[in-house]
Amino acid sequence: MTRIACAFACFLLAACAPEVVRRDSALMLPSTVAYYTVASPLSVRLDSGYSRTLAAGVRLADAGMIPEGRVLKPVSTVFTVEGTHQHEAYLVERSGRLVGFYLPVERAFSPLSESVPIQLQGESQK
Amino acid sequence: MNRSQFVVAAVLALVLAGCASGPKLSEVSSSIPPLRVDEGRVFFYRSNSMLGAAIQPTVYMDGKEVGSSKPGGFFFVDAKPGNHEVATSTEVEKKLTFTLERGQTRYVRTTISMGILAGRVQPELVDEAEGRKELAEMSYIGKPLAR
Repeated sequence: MTRIACAFACFLLAACAPEVVRRDSALMLPSTVAYYTVASPLSVRLDSGYSRTLAAGVRLADAGMIPEGRVLKPVSTVFTVEGTHQHEAYLVERSGRLVGFYLPVERAFSPLSESVPIQLQGESQK
Repeated sequence: MNRSQFVVAAVLALVLAGCASGPKLSEVSSSIPPLRVDEGRVFFYRSNSMLGAAIQPTVYMDGKEVGSSKPGGFFFVDAKPGNHEVATSTEVEKKLTFTLERGQTRYVRTTISMGILAGRVQPELVDEAEGRKELAEMSYIGKPLAR
């Protein structure tokens, strides 16, 4: 009986994705907004087990800085990260690598365990 | 009608009863009020899948009941700009957090996935092109609209 209860408990736990790991982070807004496009497609695997892809050509707006890097907000698509719940997310870039995500509602940084290269193309000012 | 035919008919009737019925977006679009300048709009919808059709949880936005997740149904909510949280609850509660800007329209799709004892209905943020395309197939299940 105990074995059955343990097996059921394990099944219950396995069925639940962990919450998105995050820590509070203060966003400093930019003085002017620059725009970029993602130059090559990007795939990331979140620690929660979910994966996300960002297609080439997605337009990003400079949304400011946090201590962990530069915050880039997708403007031509929506981007979310997911664990137990789903959260709208912006990209956080540092030295040409995607290091994690900024969650605007939670005002928090969610790090990637392994950063991935991100190629951005700046848009000329119009 | 033999017994097996009766069972099939009864199941079919139950499934169909679970799907939304109402006017399509094109039929009600002229009755949807224009967005106020100080608000944004959120469209909620659920694809017309038979999977888990009988599971139709209430949809909450910022803790307030705003509608229900019905297969093939859509409704909308106008809200102040800022941070918002959408939640649905079946055997577990699933939440979505997102921002809404003044004059912005956002699309939230509820989808069903397998749970342990029952299906789980999860809200997800969808981009505008996909949301607009999928919404055209849905039936309006929101509050009555002025004609």
